[in-house]
Amino acid sequence: MKLEVLPWIILFLPLLSAAVITLFTQRDKKLSAGISVFAVVVSFILTVIFVSAVGWEPAKRELALNWLDIGAFHVDFGLHFDPLSLAMMLIVTGVASLIHIYSIGYMNGDRGFSRFFACLSLFTFSMLGIVLANNFLQLFIFWELVGISSYLLVGFWYEKPSAADAAKKAFLTNRMGDFGFILGILTIWATLGSLNFGALQEKLVSDPHALGTVATIAGLLVFCGAVGKSAQFPLHVWLPDAMEGPTPVSALIHAATMVAAGVYMLCRILFLLNAPALEVISYIGGFTALLAALIAIQQNDIKRILAYSTLSQLGYMVMAVGLGGPTPAMFHLTTHAFFKALLFLGSGSVILATHHEQDIWKMGALRKKTPVTFWTFMIATLALCGMWPFSGFYSKDSILGLAMERHNHILLGVGLFVAILTAFYMFRLVFVVFYGSTKSDHAEHAHESPAVMLWPLRILAILSLIAGFIGVEGIFTRQFPAENAEAAAGFSQYLFAPFIHAPWAASAGLVALAIGFFAAFALYAKADKDPLVEKLGPLSRAMRNRFYFDELYEATFIRLHDTLAAIANWFDRWIIEGACIGFLRGGTDLTGRALRLFQTGNLQTYAFLFALGVAALLFWILGK
Amino acid sequence: MSILTYIFGLPLAAAVVLALVPRNFRVIMRLVAILATLASAVLAIIMFAKFQTHFAGYQFEQQVEWVKAVGISYHVGADGINVGLILMGAIVAFAAACCSWEIKEREKEFYILLLVMSGGIIGAFASLDLFLFYFFHELALVPTFIMIGLWGRGERRNYAAFQITIYLSVGALIALIGLIALYLQSGAHTFDIPALTDYIAKNPLPANVQQFIFPLLLFGFGILVSLWPFHSWAPIGYGSAPTPTAMLHAGVIKKFGLYGLIRIALPMMPHAAQSWMQIIAWLALGNLIYCGWVAMRQKDFNWLVGYSSVAHMGFIFLGIATLSLIGVTGAVLVMVAHGFLAALTFALSGYIHEQTGTLEMRKLGGLLFKLPFIGAALIMAAFAGCGLPGFANFAGEITVFFGAWNEFRIVTILACWGAMVIGAVYMLRAIRTMLHAELPEKWANIMDAPHIWRKLPFVLLLTALLVFGCLPRLLTDKIKPSAWNIVQLANPIVAKNADLKTAQANAADAAIKQEIQNIPAGSQSDTAIRETAVKEQQ
Repeated sequence: MKLEVLPWIILFLPLLSAAVITLFTQRDKKLSAGISVFAVVVSFILTVIFVSAVGWEPAKRELALNWLDIGAFHVDFGLHFDPLSLAMMLIVTGVASLIHIYSIGYMNGDRGFSRFFACLSLFTFSMLGIVLANNFLQLFIFWELVGISSYLLVGFWYEKPSAADAAKKAFLTNRMGDFGFILGILTIWATLGSLNFGALQEKLVSDPHALGTVATIAGLLVFCGAVGKSAQFPLHVWLPDAMEGPTPVSALIHAATMVAAGVYMLCRILFLLNAPALEVISYIGGFTALLAALIAIQQNDIKRILAYSTLSQLGYMVMAVGLGGPTPAMFHLTTHAFFKALLFLGSGSVILATHHEQDIWKMGALRKKTPVTFWTFMIATLALCGMWPFSGFYSKDSILGLAMERHNHILLGVGLFVAILTAFYMFRLVFVVFYGSTKSDHAEHAHESPAVMLWPLRILAILSLIAGFIGVEGIFTRQFPAENAEAAAGFSQYLFAPFIHAPWAASAGLVALAIGFFAAFALYAKADKDPLVEKLGPLSRAMRNRFYFDELYEATFIRLHDTLAAIANWFDRWIIEGACIGFLRGGTDLTGRALRLFQTGNLQTYAFLFALGVAALLFWILGK
Repeated sequence: MSILTYIFGLPLAAAVVLALVPRNFRVIMRLVAILATLASAVLAIIMFAKFQTHFAGYQFEQQVEWVKAVGISYHVGADGINVGLILMGAIVAFAAACCSWEIKEREKEFYILLLVMSGGIIGAFASLDLFLFYFFHELALVPTFIMIGLWGRGERRNYAAFQITIYLSVGALIALIGLIALYLQSGAHTFDIPALTDYIAKNPLPANVQQFIFPLLLFGFGILVSLWPFHSWAPIGYGSAPTPTAMLHAGVIKKFGLYGLIRIALPMMPHAAQSWMQIIAWLALGNLIYCGWVAMRQKDFNWLVGYSSVAHMGFIFLGIATLSLIGVTGAVLVMVAHGFLAALTFALSGYIHEQTGTLEMRKLGGLLFKLPFIGAALIMAAFAGCGLPGFANFAGEITVFFGAWNEFRIVTILACWGAMVIGAVYMLRAIRTMLHAELPEKWANIMDAPHIWRKLPFVLLLTALLVFGCLPRLLTDKIKPSAWNIVQLANPIVAKNADLKTAQANAADAAIKQEIQNIPAGSQSDTAIRETAVKEQQ
């Protein structure tokens, strides 16, 4: 078999699985799960084989078929291979495999078990499509498809009104971002005449000013897509609501992969972004990181805390891209995929253990009852907070180091402050859930999850621990050569690299972690209710209410749009229908009435009209 | 005899046969209708498969002289513009015949009218003679009125029948005046469309004549297609029509006006067409944005779908308005895609109406529990309606946007908003209210489509949407050469530039190869081609 067939199989196997489950095996739950897991695991194995066979930088970079070709509008369906896409493929298929396996345990006994796996497979396919896309329109197509998978999975328990609403909100908010995205694609196509990433890059390398005056606006319009999908401010409101979906979905789609697609896309099209656009991007990322971290410290739902944490970490990544550092961004994306997926899966295990309780203030002292969940959760927390030598330390440090290198002290300050907040809200969560006293009956009778759920946790825990120093960064520097390239070689060098490269950033990060940890320890180690609610007063209420962004949008944008619709509806009913129908009907009616006037039945009138007609006729003929 | 004759002749012949069947042979009547439309659909698929791509002329042509004195002949043929429409029409006709379960009274008349309608409209698309083209359309249109009046639903059905009759008759009349004027003014003494087109290409109509006829055709055909602001017949008409009628009318018959514009108005009156394009683009926006907003406020699902189908016409008008290869190809693609989609949506809403007796969204909810198949199909239809990739509508709409971007920037931006956001808002709201959340107790006894025969029409239409959505080249490769011919006639300047870009992109295309040779010296390199283009533009 030729090696070139492999990527097609990797991409289409999950789609095939989704189709087979939907059409044939809905009834047989075990078989459906088996097909889905088989498809994604095989995809993962084939990806490993493919990468080891062709290396990180394959000689043949693209495989393409023509999808649409009308004059200047030429779209391929292509696969693009470079370190960026290959690494992302490994992450997506790898994490997806683990989460598929975990789901067998978590979704056990659910009415829509088969449907769940069909949707997961559809998602895996769509996500791989984004990763492999070689042109803008294909990227957009799969961009929409992950959106739809997300819609179907967030609204998986559609009988719950909150879930149905959350699904709708997620899709519509994303659509607003995609509106900008498609305009950006149109602008770039109209200016540069191509949609293919390779061709576009060539054009811009040979003539950096090829985009001319639209360069900034085009870059920012494309960024709109990332703002929607990666839930950056001001379109961040959908992600926390999306937690209505089953927890494995939150782990896979709303933490590890799909929401990171925005960051991936920005790295893919980095060559299009000019300095002003990058600056805007970096500040939006920084602001999102800060905003979300602030909201996270006063949330009480275990999944929502993690959701805001995801927002905040995505903000870090977007900020890194904006600072011109795709490598740190992708590095953090990778480590984040591991530890955040682990956190969500761990929270799922906790939720299952406490009989679907999500309020952290009704848990407590789960450390002893769910030991594996606790230890793996702890590892992920340490990784997220940036403890050496956990993976998050290295990736977060590379972002902070980047901010320092760029002398952007505002964003460096934001980054450090967010690091403090991160440690604070995460240890708040850990203390309240796993330590202290049990706060409800469910927590009293908690039990550890089955093995099928625990093994994915263990594997992800190992990855969260080691991903920082096994050379992940090196994969991305192949694609984006660093300015001051001093390649670390060897295990120990990787292990201590941050302290050698940017000792200030590394130690500042650790200090931030310590501050956050001790603050959380002081406040929450033995707390039964949240002391900050009283201490912060109105600020705490604002944080709990997400700074009222939903209410703001409801009152302004949504209301405006609905009002316009109401006006249009009124106009349609009373003016257009009235006028057009009234005109036709009235016209017919009036003619009828007018004609009736002549039909009087009076002989004199007829004679008079007849004479009048004759006179008119004579006048017309003779008058000429 | 051409295969086209069979495709539209079979339903018409079956209508005659049905007239002879006694009234109480219900199964036979149904069988005849289904078999006739099935045969026609199978033939249409064969025809579509045999159709040669990259060939600009007419295929499967047949011409029989008829009234020599005025130049009327029986002339049918298919090119890229109508081949997809004929296929779509035949498949939708079959699906509509399958969906006629809900008709329980006066079935004989109903099936006869349905067959006349199906045969008529496919005949109108296949005809290459102005007289037959118009005659067949009227043949299809009149049964619509009768069907709404007799088998329609709701208290307002008489009003709806009255309104749609007046409205569409006026539209058809205006178009007729335009066509007659065109015949008289051309001086070619022929109703034959290809001959007339050739004749007019060589002897263009005077500008003032064009400016007189074009608006007649634009608004006459426009009324038939529910061009804003002449759309108010559509929602109420579809809201009251029996399911098969709504499927056929919204899906197929409505495309007649658009087809007429592309086939007749654009190539024969290029001067007027160019001067009207700006206006058409803005009117299209009326469809896309304004009707989308109105759809957001609807409480009855059929009305919502009616307005959404009006809104989708905006894409087609926008594509036509560009007078460019990309835009017109996209427009034709949307015409085919929307035909399948509209039929599918009305079939589904008809099924739900049959089960619940209402389509008022507030009263429904949680239907997905009881109707997993119908509900899933409805969700897919809604996504196709808001332009989700994978469905044919996306391919068409995106092509229109790419075609229109350079011509009408602001209109395209707003149209994108209509497609990306407004369409998604009303579709998802409808799903949320009808299918999601708790199931009200009174709907505990409704039934999902029980067996494969009830599912067949939905499966068929969904498959068509998915096939053309995933492989749009099945259509675009056929449409392109014919659209290219029309664009060249309608808009020589744009055509030339588009062609130059085309030459860069794809020199393999036969229609375009020739044009490259016509480019003056220096056509060796891309830059040279572009320079020539710039010069010519200036």
